[in-house]
Amino acid sequence: MNRIVLLVLLLTGQALSLNAQKRFIARQGQVTFFSYTSVENIEATNNQVFSILDFNKNELAVSILMRAFVFPKALMQEHFNESYMESDIYPKSTFEGDIIDFDASLPTVQTKIIKGRLTVHGITKEKEIKTKIEFIANTLVFSGSFDMTVADYKIKIPPIVAGNIAKTIAVKFRFEFQPYEQ
Amino acid sequence: MNNKIFFILAVLHIIGSTTLVFGQSLLQELDKELISDPVYTEATFKTTRLALGHSVQTRKSGIMEISANSRFWNIPERTQGFIADRVSTRFGVSYAFTDRFTAGFGVTTFDGILDGYLKYKLVRQVSEGKESPLTITLLQNSSLRTNPDRSINSTENFSDKLSFTTQVLIARKFTRNLSMQLSPTFVHRSSAISDDDPTNHFALGIGGRYRIGGHLSISSEYYYLANPLESITTYDAFAIGVNWELTDLMLQFHLSNAPNIAEDAFITQTRNNFNTRDGNLFFGFNATFVLHFKRNQSKKP
Repeated sequence: MNRIVLLVLLLTGQALSLNAQKRFIARQGQVTFFSYTSVENIEATNNQVFSILDFNKNELAVSILMRAFVFPKALMQEHFNESYMESDIYPKSTFEGDIIDFDASLPTVQTKIIKGRLTVHGITKEKEIKTKIEFIANTLVFSGSFDMTVADYKIKIPPIVAGNIAKTIAVKFRFEFQPYEQ
Repeated sequence: MNNKIFFILAVLHIIGSTTLVFGQSLLQELDKELISDPVYTEATFKTTRLALGHSVQTRKSGIMEISANSRFWNIPERTQGFIADRVSTRFGVSYAFTDRFTAGFGVTTFDGILDGYLKYKLVRQVSEGKESPLTITLLQNSSLRTNPDRSINSTENFSDKLSFTTQVLIARKFTRNLSMQLSPTFVHRSSAISDDDPTNHFALGIGGRYRIGGHLSISSEYYYLANPLESITTYDAFAIGVNWELTDLMLQFHLSNAPNIAEDAFITQTRNNFNTRDGNLFFGFNATFVLHFKRNQSKKP
């Protein structure tokens, strides 16, 4: 009896350590968004985006600190956090998703759909994001872009500046994953 | 017996370890990875002026502010010009050399006051973490009164016309909507028109801002003057108004009993009480335009 139990314990311990090895993390992921209108073009970048990749379930999670977006104009950054994104209430935007049909054994570039939930400004929406996945040396690079509609996430834009901010924001991302050591 | 206990422990171990792995989403694990730098409270006030006086706010490095602060009022004799009988405007420029240090100057038309100031943000409020719960900004202003008819200083020679205002601005953003400020103030005037009048004044300002919408807020400010002038009757300055922030433009509308805009003038020589009699109430309109001379670059990893 004791032996069986010990064996089980050892096996679960083993499984746990395997889990850990199949995880990858990106600590300096880059997310940039663009708003193009005839009045002005706005671009902001966040270079400190965190993401974890779990190959056991082909799952991915991303956490974006809204305050870390850098705007060319300092006042715009203040408005963005205070009036639009309300970063004091919703400090993070997140994404959780599954990589559809991912095959880790393929060493070449592959383009896959990541299907999941995007949470911005406290609002969660289903989202499918086309992602280019490539192995470069020892790192795994995820990159791509997608569009999001401002109105979907209940971000209030006063009519007087409505012309300055695009209805649809283009988002570009790039994550470089390294094996995760706990 | 021993076996049973061992078995139970083992089951507990398995349950424990499985919940560790599966009960926790990837997102929760990410949260543990996040580094927590001190987060400084942004936008205690949106504008560098509360209503009458300065707020603790300084602009980010490389920003120039161009402002026109106006007061409109009617006089009992009614000599209606454009919009109102009288108008006074302070045209001002300020430049933020660093995120904490700003210097500025301005000219006021009606009372002929030239003023310049240095402003330094000494302590920044931290919204997460256990550092300072307050923002403290130091302000040193000096002004030159060039119009003898509207000055409470003697205007015989240059040094007599000078006044100096020193303020320690202390503010706290209590909630995302409410910020309050205390402004202990010391005004030194180089001269006085009457020997009875003090040349050193002590005052305390109290003010606040309450946000009523994304870009709209109500602000009010009151300055208590401990030792007013003896030769003429003066009152404490009060203002209440609305702030409206647009993209690079910030507008402030308020009602006040003070026609003067320079600190030392509105604190010491406000001659009206706050009531609606003609000539007692001043409509204030501050327009501030923000120019960015420095473009931020995001840090490359």
